[in-house]
Amino acid sequence: MNYFDHSATTPIHPEVLDLVHSIQKNVFGNPSSIHRLGRKARSLIEISRKQIAKAINSDPTQLIFTSGGTEANNQVLKSFNQSEKNHVVTNPIEHPAILKVLTTISSQKISFGLVPVNEKGRVSVSEIESKIQEKTGLISVMLANNEVGTVQPIKEIVSLAHQNGVRVHTDAVQCLGKMPVDVKDLGVDFLSLSAHKFYGPKGIGVLYFKNKDALSPFMLGGGQESGLRAGTENIAAIAGMGLAAELATDGLGNHITELKSFEAQFKSGLLSFFPNAIFNGDIKNKLPGLVNVSFPGHRSDILLAKLDRSGFFVSSGSACGAGAVKPSPVLSAMGLADEINISTLRFSFGSSNNSEQVESLLSELQTILTD
Amino acid sequence: MKRITVGMSGGVDSAVAASILIEQGYDVEGLFMKNWEEESEYCSAEQDYKDALQVCDILDIPLRSVNFAKEYWDRVFQHFLDEYKKGRTPNPDILCNTEIKFKEFLNYAKDLGADKIATGHYVRNRDLDGKVQLLKGLDPGKDQSYFLYGLNQHQISSALFPIGDLEKPNVRERAEKLGFDNFEKKDSVGICFIGERDFKEFLQQYIPAQPGIIVNSKGRKVGEHDGLMYYTLGQRKGLGIGGGHSDGEGAWYVLDKDLENNELIVGQGHDHAGLYQKCLTASDLHWISGEAPNSENLKAKIRYRAKDARCRITDMNDETISVEFEKPRFATAPGQSVVFYEGDVCLGGAVIDKAFNS
Repeated sequence: MNYFDHSATTPIHPEVLDLVHSIQKNVFGNPSSIHRLGRKARSLIEISRKQIAKAINSDPTQLIFTSGGTEANNQVLKSFNQSEKNHVVTNPIEHPAILKVLTTISSQKISFGLVPVNEKGRVSVSEIESKIQEKTGLISVMLANNEVGTVQPIKEIVSLAHQNGVRVHTDAVQCLGKMPVDVKDLGVDFLSLSAHKFYGPKGIGVLYFKNKDALSPFMLGGGQESGLRAGTENIAAIAGMGLAAELATDGLGNHITELKSFEAQFKSGLLSFFPNAIFNGDIKNKLPGLVNVSFPGHRSDILLAKLDRSGFFVSSGSACGAGAVKPSPVLSAMGLADEINISTLRFSFGSSNNSEQVESLLSELQTILTD
Repeated sequence: MKRITVGMSGGVDSAVAASILIEQGYDVEGLFMKNWEEESEYCSAEQDYKDALQVCDILDIPLRSVNFAKEYWDRVFQHFLDEYKKGRTPNPDILCNTEIKFKEFLNYAKDLGADKIATGHYVRNRDLDGKVQLLKGLDPGKDQSYFLYGLNQHQISSALFPIGDLEKPNVRERAEKLGFDNFEKKDSVGICFIGERDFKEFLQQYIPAQPGIIVNSKGRKVGEHDGLMYYTLGQRKGLGIGGGHSDGEGAWYVLDKDLENNELIVGQGHDHAGLYQKCLTASDLHWISGEAPNSENLKAKIRYRAKDARCRITDMNDETISVEFEKPRFATAPGQSVVFYEGDVCLGGAVIDKAFNS
């Protein structure tokens, strides 16, 4: 198996898997119970919270555990739906966990404006300024895009926002383990993470908030997570995420080097037999190891199927539910013509890869593209 | 090894078709096709996809998916609406086969690298003297050749029909043995995009209804109709003709539609002479072999569930055909197809324009 879809999800780190397994097996106590088994479970959760706090340079009390990035995003946006300042500024290349939420709840109190992105997928800070209204309470811009990897100028956005009394949320699910994620340095007010993107378990994520007061409870019930997210905690997954965050940040430098080398090997190899390849995104500001490339004259669904047939797993930017192959909205927002758009694949390298795999990917692509 | 792409619908027939091809040693892949964009309780596409995925998982073959909703809308559904506007009774499944399954789907499968496609239709094909023939399925209750008469030589020779020589109970039995959860899934009936919803309500969304009166064959008003498009010739149910109008014996049947005056013409009794015609004319004539048959033993069906009956061709050119049956046929409906057979061989057909008695 040759897996080049690490931006979709990652295989769980073996140490994380062992930890999750051992907790599922041995620590079944309810963290809200005050007996020893409950205390053990509680302790595991708080260890994880500290590990994540350290990984992103926050205080442990500024974190709540969620079911994933989607829930974290939902909680932030829905909190502003109930706020006086309920106008949100965002952009068209956000994940549906932002855009779909806004379009759905905009029939309620919240309203929003979209700032366009340039051909590299970067939002313009000055355009954001022009969209800020009296009622704007939040700017939500992802730290890096999941399809093209473009990293956004979050620090500049934060500085502008704060001058205008506006808070900033960033969806950083693609970033931990691929670039430094430091909430103090970024200055953001909210940040979402999801464990399965950094070799942790699925179904668990975390929301960072600078101040609790801007946040409303999402799930109501037993008052867990400081009353902001009720429900008995998924202890094993939380603990697994903590360890995964620690491993991801401890190995960050080496991992970036590794990802950049896969990327360079892939790009130069591809160009040697397919010089028409178009690399999308911002070459200067992008996540390492994520390559979004258009193959003019070749449809992505056909390429994807042929790669799949030979055991090479990649993504196409175009959406595919039960059937539909539609141009990727992200690439469309970046101004890519439809026929190029539907010729695009995303290769995202990760720790399950080695350079021999990249070489076999190239040779398979050469066979398919020159067939 | 030849690669075969099987059209997986999520149903039992295509699932068993795929399993048979695997047994025969082909390199089999599944392809799920979505032709209708509607996420509602009526559209089962999502569930069908999940069913197909489970079958492919058991068979350990890939499942890919493709969306032809636009092509279906433009080439099948628009035609379906146009026919209803003309007061006819179209059969969209026939067009779906010629325009979508054996055109778009076939081409897409070839793009994916397939040598041939396969479907779960109850029909057979064989090579004979340099031509390929389409034959009825061996299960007389399930034969689907009626829906495939519009295919040409290229289309039929590009396809395999693995369950054409099986009977439905046998197909279900195989599915159960293979562990397919869908072995008891009920057969789809009626028009796929309408599903189980009310036909009138569905059609109303697209074509404005023009209510009018129902008259008997003498021109006397016996009731009111909701719009001629909702009725088909030979229809008995849902006419809503009350008592007191009776001028004969038996239930009321639709005999004809007077589009000009927006009147529905009805008559009483299954034996009413107005329900039976010996002759018809039809257009969009298609012969599977590419040539008109020269047969003494010609039979034809005027609708899917009709029996094939002896007939002769009285007039024909490239486009249109006139046919006379030995015995009158019940309720020949314009818009449906007349499909010709010689024994088990499906020869071709045409879309009925008019039925009459010479």
